Amino acid sequence: MTIGIAFLLGAAIIVLAGRNPATAYYWMFRGAFFPSALPETLIRAAPLLLVSLGLAVAFTAKIWNIGAEGQLYIGGMLAAITGLMLKDLPAPLAMPIIFLVAGLGGAAWAFLPAFLRAKYEINEIITTLMLNYVAIYLVSYLLNNPFKDPLSQFPETQTLPEHLWAPILVPGTRLHLGVFIAFLFVPLVFFLLRRTGFGLKLEVLGANSKAAKYAGVPSALLIVQAMLVSGFLAGLAGGIEVLGVQHKMRLGISPPMSPYGFTGIAVALLGFLNPLLIALTSVFLGGVINGSMTMHRMAGIPVGMAGIIQALIIIFILASYFVEESLLQRVLRGWKR
Amino acid sequence: MTPVLLVGVAEVMVERSGVLNLCVEGAMLIGAFSAFMVAYFTGSLGLAILAAGLSGLLLCLLFSFLVIVLALDQMVTGLAINLLTVGLTSYLYRACFGWYVSPVPPHIENVLQPLKIPILSDLPIVGDVLFNHVPLTYFALLFAILCWWLLFKTKLGLKIRAIGEDPQIAEYLGINVNLIRFLLLLLEGFIAGIAGSLLSIAFYNMFLDNMTQGRGYIAIALVILARWNPLLLLGGAFFFSFIDALQLRIQAIGFTAFPYQFALMMPYLFTIAVLAIAGRRVKGPASLAKPFKRVR
Repeated sequence: MTIGIAFLLGAAIIVLAGRNPATAYYWMFRGAFFPSALPETLIRAAPLLLVSLGLAVAFTAKIWNIGAEGQLYIGGMLAAITGLMLKDLPAPLAMPIIFLVAGLGGAAWAFLPAFLRAKYEINEIITTLMLNYVAIYLVSYLLNNPFKDPLSQFPETQTLPEHLWAPILVPGTRLHLGVFIAFLFVPLVFFLLRRTGFGLKLEVLGANSKAAKYAGVPSALLIVQAMLVSGFLAGLAGGIEVLGVQHKMRLGISPPMSPYGFTGIAVALLGFLNPLLIALTSVFLGGVINGSMTMHRMAGIPVGMAGIIQALIIIFILASYFVEESLLQRVLRGWKR
Repeated sequence: MTPVLLVGVAEVMVERSGVLNLCVEGAMLIGAFSAFMVAYFTGSLGLAILAAGLSGLLLCLLFSFLVIVLALDQMVTGLAINLLTVGLTSYLYRACFGWYVSPVPPHIENVLQPLKIPILSDLPIVGDVLFNHVPLTYFALLFAILCWWLLFKTKLGLKIRAIGEDPQIAEYLGINVNLIRFLLLLLEGFIAGIAGSLLSIAFYNMFLDNMTQGRGYIAIALVILARWNPLLLLGGAFFFSFIDALQLRIQAIGFTAFPYQFALMMPYLFTIAVLAIAGRRVKGPASLAKPFKRVR
């Protein structure tokens, strides 16, 4: 119901701009969830899913990793660099290495904020946010100078050799191995969060950090570990995007109006940090992103729409958390009388 | 320095009352947007600044509703509103000027001019540096001093700080916690909107997607560094803008060996560095970012 309200508001904004919401939403749906569009939606959802899973791990411990975007960029950049360096290796050997490097790059990028938070209690929201900008500028520099493709006029690396492109799983589509990997992590993260001691410790830390200390949970180490995992998955997301979709590293790999790193925050929260719900939500939002691009092409709606709808959805779902509770309470009270 | 200073001081007030308001970034952005739009279509800078303040205020009104009335998580709500603002401003901007902005983006002709203070600004070196600024800069300095005085020398300031430490006890003592937080947030929204307007109608003469580039967040970092004290914030904001100006200079010099991207990185790296050195284990107001449900 709350998603419905978000869409209604979106429709109002569309009308404000003088366009027909019905056609707009038709194109959005068509671009997102029609059978012909599903593979693309899944492709769009894959990096989002990985990022969100990583964020779910950190958020469980109430560690707010806002730097996923930067971690993703670093991961993607390293993936491209590694791919170009290893271009003479056969794919089954090179690809796992590339994915690993991408993930480790993301983890490394998350390390500084993790350390500062663990040792000095420095607010990680700010440090991770700042590093986002640093990452993007750093990658921009690398793409313009050392690693720029000499044959291209855009800031991007050379195209990776074809054997290093992530293999297509379903012929006729762009559905690549990376998508499979992303969904593979859903049960993995579920297991990590719900069935291991590590996950339990994260929950304890998130619930009450002081109690955690008394219970013997080594919170400093845990904070670093959680952030490293989070950064790893974000970096990996960059890696699969580079290997599976872009086949090179460039500046725009994250949709400008709803960057994976920030949209991932929304997905993680909307999925209530539950990997299964997150999977569903990321497919849904992947669809919204793709749909809004279709909406843009076919109905002339500016791409900012996806960002607006997303944010509205978050706000309304958060609000509904409260409203449903109190409605229920009111009903119960009335019942008791 | 002025936008960050304005936002920082306002944020100090709000955080002293226990609310962590991340959506100042959004408030600045929407202020920049509204100011530009109004300036473009009416040519009046005064009206533009007012519009900026009002739009920031409205945004923070939304935030206050979600965070005070519904007692939702403050950090998440702030972030969500920021995302909303980026999408909304980019969307509305394009809705107005066409989907594909032409090579020369729409810009306004007359930009906010610096106001020279009559005699003082003729002093040899000091004059130009200290007394030849956009009027809002003087206002920002006064605002910082005023807030410091308010916070530490008045009864109202005592109430605000009390709310920040323990809202429940403040409530028992008869202080209306929610009302004060609400009013402070509205004020902050207004100030942040005006701060944002400086970006589009004073320092530059156009609006760009996401033109605040994290300045709101930097202001929040400065609040921590300043130990929630408006006067220390003045120093912090000054240092920050020193770095910011430095990186602009570096780019202007055209030091080709030094890539511009590294210059652009400097403010953000600097913020982290300073936090790492001076922001350790800093204790803020005890109830910061905790949702408060009034027990009747």
